[in-house]
Order: sequence, then structure tokens, then C-alpha cells
Amino acid sequence: MLAYLTKSIIGAIVVLLVMSFIVFGLQSIIPADPARAIAGPNAPLETVEAMREQLGLNDPAVVQYGRFLLRLAHADLGTSVRTRQPVYDDIRQYLPATLELGLAAIALGVALAGVMAALQFLIPGSGGIRLVMVGVGSTPIFLSALLLAYFFWFRLDWLPGAGRLAYRDFAGPTGLNVIDGILVGRPEVSVDALLHMILPALALALPIGIAVGRSLNSALHEVMRQTYIRTARGKGLSETKVLLRHGLRNAATAPLSMVSLQVRLLFGNLLVVERVFGWPGLGLYTVQAFASADLPAVLGVAIVFGILYILVNTLIEIAQSIADSRIDL
Amino acid sequence: MVKLSHRMSESVTEPVLAVKDLSVILSREGRPSRVLDGISFDMFPGEIIALVGESGSGKTSIGLTLQGLLPREYQPQVAGSIRLAGIELVGSGRRTWQSARRHLVRAISQDPMGALNPTMTIRRQMRESNGGCEGSIEDWLSRTGLPDPDRIADALPHRLSGGQRQRVLIAMAMVARPKLLIADEPTTALDVTMQAQILDLLRDLARDQQTAILFVTHDLTVAASLADRVLVLYAGRIVEIGRMQDVARNATHPYSAGLLAARFDLDSDRRRPLPTLPPEHTHSINVEDACAYATRCPIAQPDCTAIRPPLELASVHGGAVACLHHEQTPYLSAQRADAKPWPAQAIQETAALRLSSIGKTYPTGARSFWGRRKPQSVLRSVNLSIKLGECVALVGESGAGKSTLLRIAAGLVVPESGTVTRFDKLPPQVVFQDPVAALTPWLTIGEQIGERLRAVSLDSDYGRRRVGEAMKLVGLDPVLMDTLPAEMSVGQCQRAVLARAIIVPPRLLLCDEPISAMDVSLAATTLNLLGDLRRRLDMAMLFVTHDLAAARIIADRVAVLKDGELVEVADPDAIIAAPQSAYTQSLIAAMPSLQAAGGR
Repeated sequence: MLAYLTKSIIGAIVVLLVMSFIVFGLQSIIPADPARAIAGPNAPLETVEAMREQLGLNDPAVVQYGRFLLRLAHADLGTSVRTRQPVYDDIRQYLPATLELGLAAIALGVALAGVMAALQFLIPGSGGIRLVMVGVGSTPIFLSALLLAYFFWFRLDWLPGAGRLAYRDFAGPTGLNVIDGILVGRPEVSVDALLHMILPALALALPIGIAVGRSLNSALHEVMRQTYIRTARGKGLSETKVLLRHGLRNAATAPLSMVSLQVRLLFGNLLVVERVFGWPGLGLYTVQAFASADLPAVLGVAIVFGILYILVNTLIEIAQSIADSRIDL
Repeated sequence: MVKLSHRMSESVTEPVLAVKDLSVILSREGRPSRVLDGISFDMFPGEIIALVGESGSGKTSIGLTLQGLLPREYQPQVAGSIRLAGIELVGSGRRTWQSARRHLVRAISQDPMGALNPTMTIRRQMRESNGGCEGSIEDWLSRTGLPDPDRIADALPHRLSGGQRQRVLIAMAMVARPKLLIADEPTTALDVTMQAQILDLLRDLARDQQTAILFVTHDLTVAASLADRVLVLYAGRIVEIGRMQDVARNATHPYSAGLLAARFDLDSDRRRPLPTLPPEHTHSINVEDACAYATRCPIAQPDCTAIRPPLELASVHGGAVACLHHEQTPYLSAQRADAKPWPAQAIQETAALRLSSIGKTYPTGARSFWGRRKPQSVLRSVNLSIKLGECVALVGESGAGKSTLLRIAAGLVVPESGTVTRFDKLPPQVVFQDPVAALTPWLTIGEQIGERLRAVSLDSDYGRRRVGEAMKLVGLDPVLMDTLPAEMSVGQCQRAVLARAIIVPPRLLLCDEPISAMDVSLAATTLNLLGDLRRRLDMAMLFVTHDLAAARIIADRVAVLKDGELVEVADPDAIIAAPQSAYTQSLIAAMPSLQAAGGR
């Protein structure tokens, strides 16, 4: 285990270096000129040139890259062109909202997957579930997010569909509103935060639930044919116990891999969903950064998502080794 | 119908299991078929009954029916009566079945490697079997002869050997103190030495715990070494029932007699083809009012296809038999003895395959920091050569390195040291253990056989003729050319695999345990076919097996492999008459035989 953790940290550093190189490469390839962007479109050429000099854009690439790495190591991701604030501070401000939503979406997606797969096994003749899954699975995220917002918020007004919280001035210690509400002793804040989360989290969870559910379902089909399932039934266990104790854990490896794949797609989907529901997180921040060619902001978010992805991947590999004790980490 | 109990003289013990007129219909892809038909028998505490028949005879279905575990997707329809410890199970609800499985009936399976949950410790699986209690788990593990039960209990299944897992499964079943234990081919996957130990264990359990054991097997020799009574099953019906020794000595149904004759052991005549059961006919008659065996039966009369023979008292052994003409059965064995001997085989001096000081290691154990594992040596400097036209059998226990050596000979695995020289420039053909898995499911048999005729299109007349010839050579009807593997029986698949191997006759054929998963008569048929093909096509052959009897019958020389080293290479009869190594001696001693069982 210790060896595995050491190895994954070394691996993460290598991946981050590669990523920083790509990000740096992008900065120099992309036609958008940061000097021109900062100086403004109408600034005279001399001003832009002075700005280039000031930014170090005229130095050799290696020197620029070294400087870039050094800044990265100090958590300096540059200054946002749009907000005129350090990108690092922006990200710190918006990350908790995205973390909260993302975690809720993953949890909800996995729960959906589990329920769908279990239903198919415990209720005979539930092939209709598959039909629903195919239907929902073929709806693109921007459409399902809009439909959810339209029906449950705009038409039925059952659930809130804009923003994170009705309490505008609330600010807790962690930035995760659901937890903060409990921490500061205002449970009504937690409830409100949860209600706000339902629609966007559901929109994000549907594709996760479908993909993981299908993978879990086919893994379960394979596992439930194994001889040890017959052994378990032969002990007189109830069908639910057979499925939960003997089936699920042995079927976990493939769906867990699917979760880590889906997390990668989730980062993209967050952009759409946060935009649709006005969720003040990194996704919305990125969409706005795109609109104003705010390259430092976009690249900063990319690095943060990269780190998150490596983290999730490691966690999932650990979960796989717990589910299947034969896997040596 | 006759009273089937043979225990009347002993006492008035109630039967622990009373099966009456049990019929089961399973629907596969909407087509219902009757897999069990009017089965009736009783079992008494401590009694061991062997349930014998070919694959597809319904013997496994009986076991599953008694546990209520027939696969749901086949929509089983069960009729008749099963009374287990006084409780009627046919037609009872889910809870009754679950409670019966918890307390009354347990099973151990054919496949000890797959029958334990790979992600759960033995202790947790045992506890689950024991109604959640920790008590007597280690006691039972040690009773089944497992050393260090405490360590075994905390291990995960993949750390245990096949024999150890089968013991764990027996302990897991017995910890619930069932009245009935169903043992479905529990020793098929095990080596002979391990098989003998498991059989001893089962015998002791029946005696000490008064557990009735239903022992399902295709091997009459194994049955004879264990059972009190035997039920012979054909096409879902009981064709003969009686005391084990009586049936083994005087089989009364022509099918039982055929099964007995097809069995081969260390004393079988190896100079001529083995006697086999008549092949199964593809066209089947309506068996409702007929003897199901009539189409294969060598002594069938016209009335056999008109009347369903009832199970009647067999005067010869006091059991019962379902055959109208069973008094003719004794003459069957006389007819069989006159098979023509094999023609003499010309063995040339040139080597078809030469393996010189082959060494191979595989990584095992836990990974080190850099992900490396310790190499463990599988083969140590093995020298073996096979002459053109010669058949060498490679015998050894699982893990001895037999399959690795075969793969090296085939060029599928690269050895770390030593050289492989083959006479033939073409790659040698390999026949693997599982013929069904060795065929691609979505290609027709003809396409797969014809694949090796590279330049020839299968649509051409010439291509079809070549494939047809190859099929005829292995005894496969060329009509089957356009069928898919799933529509064929295991025996037919094995023939198709052989046809594919010999359509371009190789100088060397490599066989990896081709008969170990087959029932006795199919195994004998396959051995005959291989013996015929290698003589007719003048092929050299490497035949890997754990069965010394099969090795002796097929091979000109036997090589015994133990822990990656050849301990003996000699003429089969010389090895069996005077085994040089202690290991070969133990292999021979563990072979079950009817003669030895008779003295029990």
C-alpha cells in the first residue's frame, strides 16, 4: 500500500509536468496575444511591445517554461484577464461550489446505477428499465439539463433552478454550503443548499448513472452465472443477500473503472450544467473565461481539473483493491 | 413398480429422502424438453448412492432439483414428489426451499476452483454457511484434513490449491449438518492422488455423520470405490438400480453394460481400439412410448420402440432394470471383444520434435516495490524428443509444468533456456482441453476447418470437398459443415477441432488434456479416434494428461513430469509394471479400479 501511494505520487508529478508542458505549449501557440489582451485592443504598438517585454514574452522558450514552472510551484497561475485577480484566488473562490456539485453528482450517479442494476436482478421481467436507460442515455447533457430546469423549476416550480443558495450573504468556513450549514448551526441553510443542488446534480448524474449502471449490469450478469453464486444460494441465503454479499462486490471492478472515466466527462459537463443553472462554480467561471479569451483562467482550471482527476483515479484504484482483495496495489 | 429399497433387512429406518415420480421440464429458448422423467428412489441416513450416466443424462439436474436451484431462465416445471426429512418440497414456497437448503440439503460442486467466492475469506463464507455462528468452523476444517485450519480460515480462496478448496467446500457443507449431501463430480477436476483422499473423506463422513450422500459421476470406477447403491440414468430416466457391487459385476441394462465396457484402466487392452458405446443418433424417435436407449442399443428389438420398459426386478442382482430384453445383455460383452488390433506403426529414427534442456520460470507471489515478482521455476532443463510417427504421453499432476511444456513445443511460449527443434516447417497443431471454447462461436464448423486451407475459398467445390473429407476422417457427418458450434454436442465439437488440425496433416499433433473433461465413453471414443488418426496420417503426437490409464492406451512412450523435471520416460507397460520413481508409484496406487472396489 505504501509502495503504491509512493508510486502514484511520483506518477502524479510526472503527469503534472507533462500537463504543464502542454499548457505552456498552448499558451505560445494560441493566436490570442496576452500582451495585446492586457493592453487593450486600441493600445498603440509600443505599449503592447512594452507589455510583452514586461511579461517576459520575448525571452527564449526554455526560460519562459522554467519561469512558468517556478510560478506553478508557488501556486501562481497568473492573473485573469477578465477579473484582473490572480487566477489562484478565483479558483479558490469557485472551487468549493464545483466540488460540492461534482461530489453530489457522482454519489447520485453511483446510487442510480446501483438501484437500476439491483432492480433488474431482483424483479424478473424488468426489461423496461433498459429501454428507459437507453432513452435517457441518448439525451445530450445540454438538453437534459434544460428539460430538467424547464419542467421542475420553470413550469412546476417544485425545485429551485438557479444559483446555489437563497441566503445571499451566507459564507461558511469550508465553502461547501451543506456542510457549513451544519457546522455553524443553521440547518435551514443545509436544506436549502441541498434543494438547490438536486436539479443540476441530477442532470450531471444521469449520464454517470446510465454508463456505470450498464457496466455494473453486465458485470453482474457475468458474476451471477459463476459457480460460487450457486454455492451461496445452496447455503439457503435469500436472493437479496446473494446479490449484495456475493454478487455486487465481485462485479465492482469494471463499474468502478467506468466511474473514473465518467468523472473525466463530468468536468466537461460541469461547464454546461453550471451555465444552465447559474451555479457559481469553476464551470461557469470557465465559460465566462472562454467568452473573454481569458487564457490564464482556462489553463488554471485545466490544471485544477487535472489534479482532481489524478486524485479520483487513485481513490478508485484503492477502492478496487478493497473490493477485490486479490488486486495487489 | 417394484419396491426399490435394499435396506429393508437392516432396520425400519425412515428414508431421509423419498423421491417419487419426479419429472422436470426445462425450456431452452422456448423449446420445452423433459430432462427428468419419472424418477423414483429412496435414500437412507448414511447411505451413499452413485448417480451414473453420460453428460446430458440429467444427473446434474437431479442434484439441482433436489436443491431447488434449477436455473430460473429455463422456467423449470417440476412434478412428482420430493420428501426430504419428511418435508414435501415440490410445489413449496421460496422460504421452505431456503430453509431446506440451509439445514437439510447441501452440495459440493465439480469445480472447486470456481465454487468459492474469490473476494471473501474462507471464515466468512463458512460463517455464512453456519447460520452466522463462528463455532465449529475450524473444527470442521481440520476434520476434512486441512492442516493449520486457523490460517486457512483467514485466507482468500486463491491462496488454496484445488484439493484444499474441495475440502473447504466439504467442510462448508458439513458445518450445517445436512441430512443429504449432493456431490456433483467432486473429484473430476482433481488429480488422482487427491481424488482418492476426497473419496475416503466422503466415505468417513457418511459413516460418522449419518449423512446420505448422492454422488453424481460419469465414472463407474469411481462410483464403485465409494457407493452402496447405484442409479444408472439415461435420457432422464432410471434404467438400472441396484447394489453397487452387483451392478458393477452383473450390469443388466445394455446401457450400464456399455458404460462398464467403455471404462478403461491400467489393465485395458491397448493393442486394439477401446470398446465404446454406440454413437448417439441425430434423429430421435418419440420416446414417450419407447425405450430412450433403443436407437443406440445393440440388442434392440421392434418392441423396444413400441413400449416404454417399466423398471422391473432384475433377477440377476436383485435390483431393478428397465429393459424388455435384459436377459440378452450378458452376450453383449462377447460381441465386443473381437475388435481388430491396431496396425503396426512405423516409427522413424528422425525426431519430429526435440526439446533440449528447456527451462522456464513464471513470476509469482507479491510484487516488490518496482512491481516485479519472484520468478519461480516451472520447467528445469527438460530433455524430450518425439520421433516421427511416435506418440509420447506426458503425465503429471496439475502444476507439474505439463501444459507449459506443450505450449513451448507449440511455439506459443518462449522458453528461457534450451532449444526447440521441429521436423516440420509448418507450426504444429494443438488440440486443447475444452473443444467448445476452442471454436469461434460465430463461424460455421466448415469455415473453421477450412480456414487452414489458405489459398482455397470455402465456396469453391474443391474447398468444400477438402473440408468434407477432413470431417469424414474424424467421423463427422459433412452435413454439419454449415452448423455453428453451439448447435453441436461436445463430442462433435472435439471432432471438429481435430478436423481443423488435420485438414492439412501436420507431422506433429499436440494434445493438451483433450479428454479430461469428458465422460468415460466419450473419452474412449476420442482416444480411439486419436489412435486411428495418428496411424492413418502418420503423425507424431505429444499427449498431455493427468490420467495414467489414458496415457498408457494412447502412447508408445510415457514421460512422467514432476515439479518441472522429467522423472521417468519409458514404455507404458514397463512404467506401470515397475515404476522407478516414488511419484509414479503413488500415481499408480491412487488409480481407482473395479477389482479393488469389489473387496470393500
